[in-house]
Amino acid sequence: MTMRNINILFILFLFFLASCNEICPEITDPVIEDNGNVVLIEELTGASCPNCPKGTAAVKAILDKFPGKVAAIGIHGKFLCEPVKNRSKYDFRNEKAKNLEEWFLPWLGKPAAAFNRIDQNSTDEKYAIFATGLWQSQVEAELQKEHVMNILMDVKYDETNHVANIDFTAIPLKDLPGEYNYSIFLTESHIIDAQTNGSVIIDDFEHNHVLRDMATNFQGDFLGNNLVKNNIIKKSIPYPFPKESIDLWNPDNMEVVIAIHPNSTTPSRVIQCAFKHLK
Amino acid sequence: MIRILFVLILIGLIDRQGLSQEKGVFSGAFETNANIFLRDSSINAISTPQYDHQFYGGEAWLNLNYKIQGFTIGTRFDMYHNSNLRNPRDSYSGTGIGRWYIKKAINKLEISAGYLYDQIGSGFIYRAFETRPLFIDNALYGVSLRYNFTDLWHIMAFSGKQKNAFDTYSGNLKGIRAEGFITLGSETSPLTLAPGIGFVGKTLSDEYMNGVIDVIRSYQDADRFKPSYNTYASTLYNTLSYKNFRLYTEVALKSKDVFFNPFAEKTELVGSNTIGKLVAAKGSVFYGSLSFAQGKWGITAEAKRTENFSFRVDPNLSLLRGLINYLTPLNKQNTYRLTARYSPAAQDISEMAYAIDVRYKFNKALSANVNYSDIKTIKGERLFQEIFSEVIYKMKRKWQLTSGIQFVTYNQKIYETKAEVPLVKTVTPYVDFLYRFDPKKSLRTEFQYMSTKQDYGSWLFGLAEFNLAPNWSFEASGMYNIIPKKKNSKGELEKTLYPTLGIVFFNEAQRYSLRYVKQVEGVVCSGGICRLEPAFSGIRFAMNTTF
Repeated sequence: MTMRNINILFILFLFFLASCNEICPEITDPVIEDNGNVVLIEELTGASCPNCPKGTAAVKAILDKFPGKVAAIGIHGKFLCEPVKNRSKYDFRNEKAKNLEEWFLPWLGKPAAAFNRIDQNSTDEKYAIFATGLWQSQVEAELQKEHVMNILMDVKYDETNHVANIDFTAIPLKDLPGEYNYSIFLTESHIIDAQTNGSVIIDDFEHNHVLRDMATNFQGDFLGNNLVKNNIIKKSIPYPFPKESIDLWNPDNMEVVIAIHPNSTTPSRVIQCAFKHLK
Repeated sequence: MIRILFVLILIGLIDRQGLSQEKGVFSGAFETNANIFLRDSSINAISTPQYDHQFYGGEAWLNLNYKIQGFTIGTRFDMYHNSNLRNPRDSYSGTGIGRWYIKKAINKLEISAGYLYDQIGSGFIYRAFETRPLFIDNALYGVSLRYNFTDLWHIMAFSGKQKNAFDTYSGNLKGIRAEGFITLGSETSPLTLAPGIGFVGKTLSDEYMNGVIDVIRSYQDADRFKPSYNTYASTLYNTLSYKNFRLYTEVALKSKDVFFNPFAEKTELVGSNTIGKLVAAKGSVFYGSLSFAQGKWGITAEAKRTENFSFRVDPNLSLLRGLINYLTPLNKQNTYRLTARYSPAAQDISEMAYAIDVRYKFNKALSANVNYSDIKTIKGERLFQEIFSEVIYKMKRKWQLTSGIQFVTYNQKIYETKAEVPLVKTVTPYVDFLYRFDPKKSLRTEFQYMSTKQDYGSWLFGLAEFNLAPNWSFEASGMYNIIPKKKNSKGELEKTLYPTLGIVFFNEAQRYSLRYVKQVEGVVCSGGICRLEPAFSGIRFAMNTTF
């Protein structure tokens, strides 16, 4: 082997490099037809999470792109959820949020989001995906799946007694074997408070869809067994506001989200979701 | 099926050995860690499955290799049981064959198949390696051919997929490397060259390309681009040696590749723009290292410029997953607890680094080392700076004193993505004293003090290690937050002690250690690859052996 041979190899490499002109894929947006599905996004976020404003922006963009078709919940559980030192006015953490955050383990970091709680078949990210760029496609995929249930809901807020009266009717559009649960989330938007953003802190960040509490167990409450097509199930759930929250939560900015999913000790795919403003 | 085939081949080889009367050689290694987690909210050792309900986690690796008749075959059994290595905040369990391989030498040809470790040059374009403390195992699952033209010249080619725990990533990699050795000049003062050239091609799988397209579709027009399936990287390197000088140079280039740039501004439809997006760009690394060694002097100067050289099997992977290459760190790899506390991870998007290391031996007893590292972004933002000096004095075989001082400037915003934190500036003097009572008994003590007004504040570290050769070693150490700057969970500035008590037993090639550990949150680095690890509280048992 001489230097001459090496030179020939080098030229061959360069030739090989130059000869690779591939046909690149086109970037096209899929056509999403409205089949009645509403997708639940459960975003794991936190006030002390430097990357989380990226998640906020991604969720906002999805909600704008699919109005009325997506319900969002911002879960401030444990990791990077401490109020920003000397800057935060509020602490968004609560027990249900902590439970949900742990329930979605394993996940790689924050922000991360689960989409109808679908199993991602990944050892590192079982339900919640870290790459915010992939979130929209997850929603699109869920919107295109078979529509199996309608949820009609009504919410009335009793301002005197501070009670949210939540009524909903679930209408299976096909036979659904197995046990099903319903989960009811109460969220609040337009909360202005501090948020870590990369290497800076934004004092007037707008926190949206902050999970305040759940009117059910964090794993949901029992809805029914072996649901039969068109056999409707009605539920009425009064949710009295906790005393300590009456002056803290603003009902004008609150939303109720209902999700129906299999009854399981691990997260299972949400089959339908609905949401409505409290007032 | 592959594993069954592997066992059959192994049995076949052993059987052939019996027929041919040629003796094969078995060798192996075993390593295990077992951790008992004891929750301690005062140091934030909480909120992981291990602290909350599992209480125990561990890992084990058993390597077996067998050589006979030009064949080398090997396998490795891996076990992770509630392990926090894969994700320090989570628990991972998995058991199985972590590696198998077969190599066969046929005259000048070497054929390898299975899970293979190798690298090209310094690893800028390709390095398949294993770093257990960081759960990195980037073995190539594929085949490799190496042809040795002479003892000095060879060419090697490979193709395969990258390992991902007990699975593989779906994209494929292929590459080629040619290396040689040339002697020029006179016989008395030869000039030698060790040139090499390498090439790596990465092809995204359809699955990964769909992921990339999904991400780009979510971007505004200003940020959209057309991704390509293939990326090519090439490198040209050489070691020139002349008399007491040694010059290593390497230039690595990467064709337009899709990668995540955490510093790129992403346009948002509503609200303010965010930081971090996929981009398509060419990349480069330029590296040079000049060494001089003569008599009492040893001098090494290094420089490295890195731009857009993030190279992963899937652009949507993050943290330490799917790394194809390895970027050499230029800073000094420190070993003392406090001098190693703020270590920089090699930056793949933008880094301009210089380092110089000077060693001088005054006489048999006294030697000194001065090291300077300077790391900035290409645009000039300060990332890291270290001035390090050390003096070693050996009093025959009776005692040895090592002492020095380190000055560090560390950009916590970049390395640990912490918001609105100033540059961490530390001054750390230290003393290491080893005293031998007799050939079997010795005592080693360390005292370190880190003075800083940032992050956790100032630290004091002390260690005493009593060695009873050849079998025992006893240690006690404490890291004390003497001037705390961070409030604990109660909102108080508390002077916290992080103690370690340990006992180590050696028996020939076996090493057993048992330690009670309280460890502060910090960056754990291995060769320039780093990650932020949470605090640890508990009992650690480790054992390793070779046979």
